[in-house]
Amino acid sequence: MTQKKLKINYEVWSERLTKIYGKGKEELEAVSKIDLRVEPGIHGFLGPNGAGKTTTYNMLVGAISITEGEAKIRELKAGSVAAKQLIGFLPQDPVFYEDMTGEGYLIYMGQLGGLQAKEARRKAQELLDYFDLFDAREREIGKYSGGMKQKIGIAAALIHEPKVLILDEPTANLDPLGRVDVIQKIKELSDKVSVFVSSHILSEIEQMCEDVTMINHGKIVVSDSIKKIKKSFVSNLYILDTDMNEKFLEILKNKDFISKARIEEIDGKIHIIPKDPAKLQKIIPEMLIENKATLLSFHQPELSLQDIFMEIMSKKEDDEK
Amino acid sequence: MKNDQSSLINKIKPGVEKSNNKVFQPLRTWFGKYISRKTFIIIRKTFFDICSLKKLIITIIAMLFLPLIFIFMPTGIDFGLISSHHAATIIGIALLFPAFFWTLGIAYTSIIGTSGSHLIAEEVSSGTMLILVSKPISRIKIFLGKYLAVIFFGMLISFISIFTIGWSGVLIKSGNIDHFISLVPFLTALYLYSVFIVFLFTSITMAFSSIFKKSRTASMIVLILIIFSFLAFMIIRTLTGALYGTFQIYHFDLGYHLGNVFVLFIETLNAIPPSAAWLMFFGQITGVYSLTSTIDPDQGINLGGLDKTNYYLPIFSLLIWILIAALLLFFGIWSLKRREISV
Ligand SMILES: Nc1ncnc2c1ncn2[C@@H]1O[C@H](COP(=O)(O)OP(=O)(O)OP(=O)(O)O)[C@@H](O)[C@H]1O
Ligand SMILES: [Mg+2]
Repeated sequence: MTQKKLKINYEVWSERLTKIYGKGKEELEAVSKIDLRVEPGIHGFLGPNGAGKTTTYNMLVGAISITEGEAKIRELKAGSVAAKQLIGFLPQDPVFYEDMTGEGYLIYMGQLGGLQAKEARRKAQELLDYFDLFDAREREIGKYSGGMKQKIGIAAALIHEPKVLILDEPTANLDPLGRVDVIQKIKELSDKVSVFVSSHILSEIEQMCEDVTMINHGKIVVSDSIKKIKKSFVSNLYILDTDMNEKFLEILKNKDFISKARIEEIDGKIHIIPKDPAKLQKIIPEMLIENKATLLSFHQPELSLQDIFMEIMSKKEDDEK
Repeated sequence: MKNDQSSLINKIKPGVEKSNNKVFQPLRTWFGKYISRKTFIIIRKTFFDICSLKKLIITIIAMLFLPLIFIFMPTGIDFGLISSHHAATIIGIALLFPAFFWTLGIAYTSIIGTSGSHLIAEEVSSGTMLILVSKPISRIKIFLGKYLAVIFFGMLISFISIFTIGWSGVLIKSGNIDHFISLVPFLTALYLYSVFIVFLFTSITMAFSSIFKKSRTASMIVLILIIFSFLAFMIIRTLTGALYGTFQIYHFDLGYHLGNVFVLFIETLNAIPPSAAWLMFFGQITGVYSLTSTIDPDQGINLGGLDKTNYYLPIFSLLIWILIAALLLFFGIWSLKRREISV
């Protein structure tokens, strides 16, 4: 098993990768000894605000120094020119040369990526066409909309034909239609390049990725295929809906066989994670009769990544206390 | 992994490559580490960023402003009666002060300072640098690309200004185009000096741009340095008098060193013969010449003009500041290499 693992050529690999910002009292360990294993395909990178995603990406592309540990892109040292030849990077909130035209910008980026002028122009037009920006190619980027900028950013990351795309929240600041568009494009691209993408929107990650890595407070919480993660979590959540949810929540919270219970804001139903599911199933009918309440529904849902994410993050926090 | 420079070299000289492999290949590889096609891509973009046509015109007008005033001041000499060489000397003397003090002095260095100071600092703080450093190009090349763009821009504007000054000097003062030929050594001296200045001030500016967050900080420091070199030290020199020499203030007086180098170029190229007419003036501005050397009233001759103060041998002034410029260049590269690029 381990031998087989070693043989895999990871797209992105890191060992005890660590970033400490600042010195002395202001020292902050933003990324703490993380071991990344990104295989070909689309790999999601999840974590709440300040978890360390951007910091990790910036180390992988050589923008900031690595405090400790090491990182590689397909066997090449992260940050080296050779490794950077293999990656295309879209930063979080990318900033462009506002006075350059879309086409001019892509050609410039292509040439910096090692393409000859002619080749860069050809690739640029191809990408402009692919991202529906061809008509805007002679307009200044400063006059592009947010969605157009995001797409020109991805095009610029792609122009030197990298093997691994590193996208830091590519759908941030986009409207729902824009999101769907960008996600669709990323999915299509994954035939040719591997994608390592971060996002806050878990449903998006769920649509795109097979594998995910979740981090919190700079540490990896879980890293596996979404399927496996779901399997290991599926049996744990129960959803109860009655005509007096608040009262039921109070009662349930105080039972010792309940590990967690809360009212989900979206649907107003009680989400329960029991320590002992059998006891929960038994007590619900009793509670209903006792309180003369009406049962609207009681079931185990197919878990979304969002639920699991919430669950994992809250568990972690409990552990830390 | 084939890197960009070797593939470029293959394209340029496919034949020579093999035969001279042992000698040239290591040299080319070494050179290619710093300058390659990608460096030129950066140079080109940066150059056109800092050198729009509008800016070029304004810049040239600004640089010519003081010399033109001097050119229009009447000399009372009939240029028809004197030799071409003599005419060139008179025109040269008229241009010497505004060229040193303004065109290649305050104006030139300020333009270099303000053109270069934002090139790194602003790209880092605005965030465009983040994408740039993630591209397969080394930071050395990014730095050198921007650095060389400023150098080329500086060499271009000084060439245009010096050329224009020379022509307008000849046309307005004597109206005899032949005199321009005799003025060439002087103009060459000016140009060589401008190359030295652009090297020094680009290094200073880019080094500061490389370390500071705000480009304004970088340009402020350069401007303060300029004010000190061309104005403040002039006052300090006058006020301190003999103490200036005693306390060896000249070590830190960039204005003195620049004057020293300027005179070195003028002397070496025999551009303008020494005469009290300009030595006096120059001594006052830069401290290169001693103002206290007395003219013997009995003999009444002091054809050689004023004595040099010789705090530094001119060649030393030149070499020391070239060395400082080179160190600043390395420092700039080193700072950018170590710099954390995040928004
Ligand atoms: N340049 C910096 N200097 C000091 N601390 C920083 C710097 N950049 C980030 N941090 C800190 O490091 C931690 C991780 O930040 P990071 O931006 O990597 O998180 P993130 O997962 O990308 O968050 P988000 O989802 O909000 O983008 C945060 O606590 C942040 O405040
Ligand atoms: Mg982030």
